[in-house]
Amino acid sequence: MTALGTLQLILYFGILLVITKPLGSYMTKVFEGQKTFPSRPLGWLERGTYRLIGVDPDHDMKWTEYAIAMLLFSAATLVFSYAALRLQGVLPLNPQHFGTKQMTPDLAFNTAVSFTTNTNWQAYSPDVTLSYFSNMVALAIHNWVSAAVGIAVAIAVIRGFARKSASGIGNFWADVVRCTVYVLLPICFVGALVYVAMGVPQNFDPYTTVTTLEGGKQTIALGPVASQEIIKQLGTNGGGFFNANSAHPFENPTGLSNFFTLLLIWSIPAAITYTFGKMVGNTKQGWAVLGAMAALGLAGVLVCTSAEQAGTPFLHQAHIETAATAMQSGGNMEGKEVRYGIPSSALFATVTTGASCGAVNSMHDSYTPIGGLVPLFNMLTGEVIFGGVGAGLYGMLMFAVLAVFIAGLMVGRTPEYLGKKIEKFEVQMAMLATLVLAASVLIGVAVSSTLDLPKEGALAALNTWPGSAYGGADTIYGATANNVNNASAHGFSEMFYAFASATGNNGSAFAGITANTPFYNVALGLAMLVGRFLMIVPLLAMAGALAKKTSIPVTSGTFPTDNPTFTGLLVGVVLIVGALTYFPGLALGPIVEHFQMQALAAH
Amino acid sequence: MSDFIYLTLAAAFFAIAIAYVKGCEKLRRGGK
Repeated sequence: MTALGTLQLILYFGILLVITKPLGSYMTKVFEGQKTFPSRPLGWLERGTYRLIGVDPDHDMKWTEYAIAMLLFSAATLVFSYAALRLQGVLPLNPQHFGTKQMTPDLAFNTAVSFTTNTNWQAYSPDVTLSYFSNMVALAIHNWVSAAVGIAVAIAVIRGFARKSASGIGNFWADVVRCTVYVLLPICFVGALVYVAMGVPQNFDPYTTVTTLEGGKQTIALGPVASQEIIKQLGTNGGGFFNANSAHPFENPTGLSNFFTLLLIWSIPAAITYTFGKMVGNTKQGWAVLGAMAALGLAGVLVCTSAEQAGTPFLHQAHIETAATAMQSGGNMEGKEVRYGIPSSALFATVTTGASCGAVNSMHDSYTPIGGLVPLFNMLTGEVIFGGVGAGLYGMLMFAVLAVFIAGLMVGRTPEYLGKKIEKFEVQMAMLATLVLAASVLIGVAVSSTLDLPKEGALAALNTWPGSAYGGADTIYGATANNVNNASAHGFSEMFYAFASATGNNGSAFAGITANTPFYNVALGLAMLVGRFLMIVPLLAMAGALAKKTSIPVTSGTFPTDNPTFTGLLVGVVLIVGALTYFPGLALGPIVEHFQMQALAAH
Repeated sequence: MSDFIYLTLAAAFFAIAIAYVKGCEKLRRGGK
């Protein structure tokens, strides 16, 4: 760890801590329907939206009504995006004349699902596939509403803990509209201008062709980047305007924009823990949850940075300088932008995978095995290390229920959390949400790594990359495992990462896997749907059951959940569940690759 | 035709998810 890297880390966590309380307090007021400073300029938008969609924001929904509204809204926006993507050839703002040739049905399914679920996995290169309309309408709408849905669900789950003897957990439409109008819109308006000031383009110009210094021709992609970049990061979406994502100089021009981006990604997930504390009437509860998130996040940054800074034995054997000096980064710089170096790349990799964002400023496939294990493990925890906006908190509350259940078993008392008895149904729902995620990842990767699709016949089409859409001949692959660039352990990691990313609704790619085939587009699309909605439903059910309960008084036998002991227990449960569930997979991927690398170097 | 297949797949998932909501509620009420 270099001195600059350490300084950046301290500054990052320090500023994040400073943001948490004011933003969390502000969000509490928004979701409790109180007046805030944007109420006057933006109140008309909130009221107008309610009138337009014909809803009563004061109607308190039961959990089933809340969940079905969330599902139907997501289904409707998914179909809208699918149609807009497939019809991009006849829709406006398409100076490059992209059409259905680029956006095949299976890719449109994968992309519409991906953005609806806040995953933003991109099986395509956006700069050679998507029109400006597709970017700004079909997809950007989800950058807003999928983020708002995640936050709304987290608020509904908080209400389950906060309310007593209540039948409802809030109004889905009011939560989504208030989040969009009062939280996302004001921050994005200012943040987009900050990005523009730092050099991110915002225009509707066609791509520019320039003559390079060597005399060659180069096409430079442009477009409304800043407005998409800000919600991409703030809403932990992650889908890039350009294929290189946040490694592209137009998305992330400087070290300062990189730091700003990192703060955006974890700002709402951190702040909502304070909102949680405020709404349950004890801010220490929120700090305890934030402490667990921060401990896991910090550990990830330190492991990842150390592994990358140490480099590999092969670099040492080749007599390449691996120690950082004033003139070069040292360590493993493969796949990393020289503008950011190792500390900012490793921090970005940990932040983006801890937060289900999925934006990348370096290629995770090029990390050392242990360095690459960190982003993979972050996603496998269920995205609770800060997690997606809202999703991180409701995921961590799922683990909190399991933690108090385990603590209850150890001391022989009925578990309690926030004054509510945690009984059979709540534990069943928490376990259901946990198992759904594990099943999606493990079944997906097991099928993909063993399925041997034929090279000829009808089934071959399932594994065909539509290369002709890009001007080349169709490339037919055999087994799904042959779609990866690397054989053995690293190739397995590439597939493991893809299903972890899809199920965790992260969206970052390890790279090295050709995912734009009908098989992967459907398999990963289903993993995203399962990871998002089949996790949310049991947690809303748990919230509905908890809201109906009365509060029980604190006694000397109550297990405190607002102190460092509980934070430690929570960290332990996250690690143990993650380790027990995924250790065999990790052993077959990055862990065995690490030992193979050491053994090869020794001989 | 392909569009129909993929839209049907999405619709089937959401139908299952709504049935899942009803199943969880039944479990909460004490059903099996």
